[in-house]
Amino acid sequence: MITIQSVQLSKSYGFYKIFEDLSFSIPAGECFALFGPNGAGKTTLLQVLATLTRPTSGRFEILGYDGITEKPAIRNSVMVLAHGSYLYDDLNAVENIQFASALRGKSPTFQEITRALDFVNIGAFRDLKIRFFSAGMKKRLGLAKVFLIQPKVLFLDEPYNALDDAGVGITNDLIRDLLKKGGTAFMTTHDRIKATQVASQTGILRQGTLHPFNLESQTTNDLS
Amino acid sequence: MTFLKVIQWVVWKDLITEIRSRETLSSMLFFAMIVILVFSFSFSMDQDAVRELIAGIIWVAFAFTGIIGLGKSFTVELHNDCLEYLQLSPAPKGAIYLGKMTANLLFMLTVEILLFPLFVLFFNLDVVEEIGLLLLIFFLATLGLSAVGTLFSALTVQIRAREVMLPVLLLPLAVPVMIAAVEATRGALNGAPLSLYSQWLELLIIFNVIFTVASFWLFELILDS
Repeated sequence: MITIQSVQLSKSYGFYKIFEDLSFSIPAGECFALFGPNGAGKTTLLQVLATLTRPTSGRFEILGYDGITEKPAIRNSVMVLAHGSYLYDDLNAVENIQFASALRGKSPTFQEITRALDFVNIGAFRDLKIRFFSAGMKKRLGLAKVFLIQPKVLFLDEPYNALDDAGVGITNDLIRDLLKKGGTAFMTTHDRIKATQVASQTGILRQGTLHPFNLESQTTNDLS
Repeated sequence: MTFLKVIQWVVWKDLITEIRSRETLSSMLFFAMIVILVFSFSFSMDQDAVRELIAGIIWVAFAFTGIIGLGKSFTVELHNDCLEYLQLSPAPKGAIYLGKMTANLLFMLTVEILLFPLFVLFFNLDVVEEIGLLLLIFFLATLGLSAVGTLFSALTVQIRAREVMLPVLLLPLAVPVMIAAVEATRGALNGAPLSLYSQWLELLIIFNVIFTVASFWLFELILDS
């Protein structure tokens, strides 16, 4: 079953073409890692697929739902871990999870939240306001939300940034668990070694077009 | 059920955040107290002049104080890209709007309830008999300001000059609320029979219904654009 299907997807800002005629499909149970130099349009492509930005032309489907006309259905099944942490500084870790879950129609128990925080190793900081969290801790709290909400499709924008080795391990464990349950992941990254551990499909976005990327044979220079 | 829960959680989040940071209420109160002090020292009015002008002074203070609160309503969502999370969430956007609107209404009413005794004190107002009616007028007019203001706060939050654009867009649309609020407040403070100014209360109710419903439907478009 195809989870993410893109057909001649294009995005421009004015006369500047970010990407053009991107066609690809990602089946259920697979992780797609998108590489590319800075400014290649990786984040923009992720934002289009996550229904944050409209494409200029072309179409795409997530889980069979049209990306333009069936946004609510897509948003019900999709989660995004982006550059922003989506956390409120004056709420603590538990309160942030409660609020984020409530907006998705879920009401996890305190025990479930504690288990999720323990899974990402920040259980000891559950009552601490987010304004005192480091970037890595915020990233882990985002992973705890994924652990609790269990989306069918996960979009990750530079997921390994700010994470230590243990954090990278937790991220990849979470992605593997999602794939095992038939979910799909789409990530943008510069870190091909860490991405290799979970990605089954790869591509490189360069000058607005998508090229196949071979994790074994291509070098770091290909990414810039 | 989910719809009501989302409203409840958005109100809860805004109230908790405000209780802990005290950013919005403190700036609203500080500004309003300056307005009261300036007006009370600028005019040396006899009691008749006070009764003619005080309703306008009260609503200038309340409206501009409210704009400070409304302006901050969505700027807090920009931090850590929380606005993006609201946009991406499958929660009904109308419920998010109603939650934000209710929180804004509560902030504005809190400030008004704290400020009104200062007006009574500084301008020597006799409000004992009409206090219930005055509170109803404050509620209806503040609901109108909050309904339109929450929508425009969301509309202007991504604009660089949002502090300027919010009052520029909001105030012309809020003119009917302001006029109705001033006229009804003047009537109540002067002890006039309700029948003489009840049309202004009706105008406030009609405005609130129309603009709450319109804003409820438009909010999703604004959040997604």
